[in-house]
Amino acid sequence: MFEATSELGNVVLQEGQGTLTNPSAAAALAVGLAALGAGYAERGIGSAAVGAMAEDEGLFTNGLILTVLPETLVILALVVVFLV
Amino acid sequence: MSAVGSSNPEYVVARVRARRGKLYSDEEYRKLTRMGPAEIARFMEESTYEAEINALGSRHGGVDLIEYTLNRNLAKQFEGILDWSEGRLYDLIARYLRKFDARNVKTIIRGVYVGASTEEIEVDLIRAGEFDDRRIRRLLEAESIEGVIEALDDTIYGPALEEAYADYEESGILVPLENAVDRTFYDHLLSGLGRDEPTRQYEAFLTAEIDFRNARNALRLARSGADIDPAEYFIDGGDLFTRDTLARLARNLDELVEYIAESQYADDLGPALRELEDADSLIAFEHATDAALLAYGDQLGTIHPVSVTPVISYILAKEREVQNIRAISRGKEAGLSDAEIEEELVIL
Repeated sequence: MFEATSELGNVVLQEGQGTLTNPSAAAALAVGLAALGAGYAERGIGSAAVGAMAEDEGLFTNGLILTVLPETLVILALVVVFLV
Repeated sequence: MSAVGSSNPEYVVARVRARRGKLYSDEEYRKLTRMGPAEIARFMEESTYEAEINALGSRHGGVDLIEYTLNRNLAKQFEGILDWSEGRLYDLIARYLRKFDARNVKTIIRGVYVGASTEEIEVDLIRAGEFDDRRIRRLLEAESIEGVIEALDDTIYGPALEEAYADYEESGILVPLENAVDRTFYDHLLSGLGRDEPTRQYEAFLTAEIDFRNARNALRLARSGADIDPAEYFIDGGDLFTRDTLARLARNLDELVEYIAESQYADDLGPALRELEDADSLIAFEHATDAALLAYGDQLGTIHPVSVTPVISYILAKEREVQNIRAISRGKEAGLSDAEIEEELVIL
């Protein structure tokens, strides 16, 4: 998973020099990669949260909050879009 | 669920950690040691054992009820863990839980040998291993030892049992069959383990367990002075002994004690070894090995929280709880004093 991500970055940087000269395209890529990272983080947290909920339903709120925390990554990455 | 796909330690670890919090604490053990069997059953009914106590309460009573409740609850919890886990995680957990399969196979073979009824054998099984209900049913329905071995044809025990069956036919004793089952279990326990850090910790634990088992067997043989070849009881895979050292040391108790005292386990077992020299009592040594394994099990899972180690740590803690409750209730039944029972418990 991680290997694939960095490889994807390499390919984009080497072959897509034309793409990265365009600031909007680079910003879009940044947001996309941030979303990918957030999704990966949520995968682990989500499955742990569901496991905890299966044992104790009272943990629903905590589980939900912890699961969506990595979403902040995407929101922060979205700032880049407004900066360029 | 099965050994295919990627593993899901997050889910299993979250569930297992929640269950670990529900295990009995020291305080509750202290309460239990002051109760009689009926009170213990009532106490258990108010905790995680409620469903089992209710299901079995009408058929059994007293210490038997506690015993069967413990077995069934243990089986349910471990089956659950195997159900949830997938991929590599499943493989690693199943390795350890197969010891219940091995135990069940031995129970069934022994039951068939003495001609016990299906029901009698069934209540003694702990269905915590990898075998599903269908296979257990087939094993129970087998009329002869040959039938049992046939039902195990496609499992890991198949080839070894078939080989041992000839020995059994010749001698008429069960030892070759039981040895075959044990050896298969230990062979599969350590073969093909991965090399990542959590797995290495797990492996270190398994190695320690095998070492302690070898040491215990050797000490028992050395003490009893019986004329048995120690190599027959040797379990492969440990760090401490080789077949030859064990065979040599089992003849002389003093040398054996010295050998263990100089090994890497000296810190854990030192006091127990001194006691063994002074009082000539094996009980202290066996308790010390139990406590050392428990301490190790507690540490497991603190360094790599999202791996197989916390799951194994829970499995060990649960096994210990079941053993402790059983010791308390059996001790009460036999009329031991509270202090004697507390000595039997393995608590940290």
